[in-house]
Amino acid sequence: MTSAGIPYEHAVEAWRAAAPAPPRSLDVPAADVLAAHHPDHQAHGTTTLRVGANAGDRCPSVLADLLESASLVDDVDIAGTAVADTDVVVVGGGGAGCAAALTAADQGARVLVLNKLRLGDSNTVMAEGGIQAAVAPEDSLQRHFADTVRAGHLAGSRDLVAAMVHDGPDVIRWLIQLGVTFDTVAGDAGEVLMARGRAGGTTVPRILSCRDHTGLEIMRSLREAVALHPGIVVRDHAPVVELLTDTHGRCTGAVVVDLVSNAVQLVRANAVLLTTGGAGRLYVGSFPSSNHYGATADGLVLAYRAGARLVDVDSFQYHPTGLAWPSALVGQLITEAARGAGALLVNGHGERFVDEVAPRDVVAAAMLREMADGRAVERDGQVGLLLDVPSLVADQPEILTDRLVTLAKLAARAGVDPTAEPLMVRPTLHYQNGGVVIDEHGATGVAGLWCAGEVAGGIHGRNRVMGNALLDILAFGRRAGRAAAHAAGERIRRPVGLHHLQQWQRGLVDAGLPLDRRAPLLFPPESNVTPDDVMARCR
Amino acid sequence: MRIEIDGRKITAADGTTLLGAWLAAGHPLVDHVGCMGQGVCGACRVLVRRAGQDEATTELACVTRAEDGLQAAFLDDTTPHRAHPYHLDPTHDSWDAHGRVTEVFPEAPSCRHCDGCNNACPVDLEVHEGVVAAVAGDLVAAAGRFEDCVMCDLCTTACPEHIAPNHLGLFLRRMTTSLSLRPDDLLRRLHEIERGHMTIDVHASVEERG
Repeated sequence: MTSAGIPYEHAVEAWRAAAPAPPRSLDVPAADVLAAHHPDHQAHGTTTLRVGANAGDRCPSVLADLLESASLVDDVDIAGTAVADTDVVVVGGGGAGCAAALTAADQGARVLVLNKLRLGDSNTVMAEGGIQAAVAPEDSLQRHFADTVRAGHLAGSRDLVAAMVHDGPDVIRWLIQLGVTFDTVAGDAGEVLMARGRAGGTTVPRILSCRDHTGLEIMRSLREAVALHPGIVVRDHAPVVELLTDTHGRCTGAVVVDLVSNAVQLVRANAVLLTTGGAGRLYVGSFPSSNHYGATADGLVLAYRAGARLVDVDSFQYHPTGLAWPSALVGQLITEAARGAGALLVNGHGERFVDEVAPRDVVAAAMLREMADGRAVERDGQVGLLLDVPSLVADQPEILTDRLVTLAKLAARAGVDPTAEPLMVRPTLHYQNGGVVIDEHGATGVAGLWCAGEVAGGIHGRNRVMGNALLDILAFGRRAGRAAAHAAGERIRRPVGLHHLQQWQRGLVDAGLPLDRRAPLLFPPESNVTPDDVMARCR
Repeated sequence: MRIEIDGRKITAADGTTLLGAWLAAGHPLVDHVGCMGQGVCGACRVLVRRAGQDEATTELACVTRAEDGLQAAFLDDTTPHRAHPYHLDPTHDSWDAHGRVTEVFPEAPSCRHCDGCNNACPVDLEVHEGVVAAVAGDLVAAAGRFEDCVMCDLCTTACPEHIAPNHLGLFLRRMTTSLSLRPDDLLRRLHEIERGHMTIDVHASVEERG
């Protein structure tokens, strides 16, 4: 895909001669650059789904292989296995899962949180730039709504966007009550105002932040609150490998693998809530990924097999500024807050080529165009563009110590002095735009099953705005937690089984799909562990 | 270069991290892993001894680079079983903030200043100074010491007095924020929304960008 670029030494000379380079916007319509260069628009590496609720839809092959796979368990595995009961089971204790668990437990539900790794291990803890909420006087909920719908190419559900945007200010209050701090500035009359940054593709600065480790700040408070909540039980190293259903297809629990005792266990619950996150570790399109080790699409696979419908599964976000050099740090992210504050992108000729605060998909596609056309930069075999941090620092000398502290640490690890030398960056697989179809309360088409966070879809359309992911997970995490606790209030003990699998297996056979390809994947391709290896530990 | 992790001899490429070297050598990895290189989740705690070094250090395997002769061992995550429970009540009397510190963390005044926490911290925080400041009632300064804490619990493991320094630091940060942060613009906007003065028209026309 990429042709060799301009040698790094020459590119740096060109950058230095022109820095700060004058503005230069795209010389062709953004839609044309997206069509020609954005991975979502390329047929290569995709296939058509043959079974399930989305049969007939396009999907990346690496994801389709997992969606159209057989279960890791059958009736023999669960026969005679002890069943634990709870009101609400939350699968995945990242930001959405913790928000759901806290909300459900505050409603009086008994909550069990199951983690594949540990509580808090998630993309949330890695989030840098911030969270969107319309708090400024010149901003409004309507404006946040319009910016979100527009950035998603009008593909998102307007009802879901409205629900998320409406919750924004209340989510910030809830976080502050939980002890999450935010950057502030003094207003003209000395009042305390929330510091606001600019997200690409939006009409007003709306990003609220805690420096550039907002996700860490949020996650450590959420995790502590969950761990200390008397109504919540947390189990780590306990991935869910299948959902349990009754004869009506209602989701009634989950099959858990305890990686500490190497045993299969069953959990029966009145409400099952999937907050398993995204799919970046599938390396869609062979891109490097900024994602957490656990981002392997497990929740999509489980929900799809149980009959849930997905939306926009062919749409992914490529963050413009993952590190492209050195090779050991490829995929590590530089926050969009850097470009929001004024950092420029330049090619190997020292020229800008796109408005740096255009929507993420446009910036990424424009970068891929430079890379494809040989105007990018090459260093030790890695190809990327230059992020002009030195000019930003010259303009705002305190920015690396006050705001972009994570960027400064990453540059140090790369052996780059960010005050003197640009960083080499490239588009990096960052986010799953689509996911399981939900309503405003996180309910899926499968009775008894709720979803929230990155596993859910329909909010961001085909392109997400910076800062809307953290808002999404908390807004819908709380909504789904509330709805699940309410539903669990019935406390009806329903039968548990693998009833959905019979029809599923038949579908695979009818479509001529292999029965020996099993999922969820659980651990990424580089883990040296297959799902079958995990199950073998228990047999 | 040659390194050793959990007793396995591994040939590591120049510039790779310990986790990267472990995976590249084909070894399975289902725990002691998380953010894979950002150094913010605290999952990949390792005990490290470098060639020619007498003392072992505690580090994060996703950011520590392989060096010839380096030996490392993964440290299992263990939930501290001396929890320091508290509930952040928004109506709590904030005039009593200092008193609450020793109420929730009664061991903190017993700090024996051994520097175990500082030595254990993989992100080089001045943990001990944070504990001392908290006991002295210098709450904002103490909280500030823990700004970059990744909650790996190594200081909690290292502390002979069971102070749980990282949990103390997080408590200070959470308490001071929840009791004092009241941004005026946020208060105004919540007031508008709650009185129905700001709503969303979901049918409003939104134009696709050019």
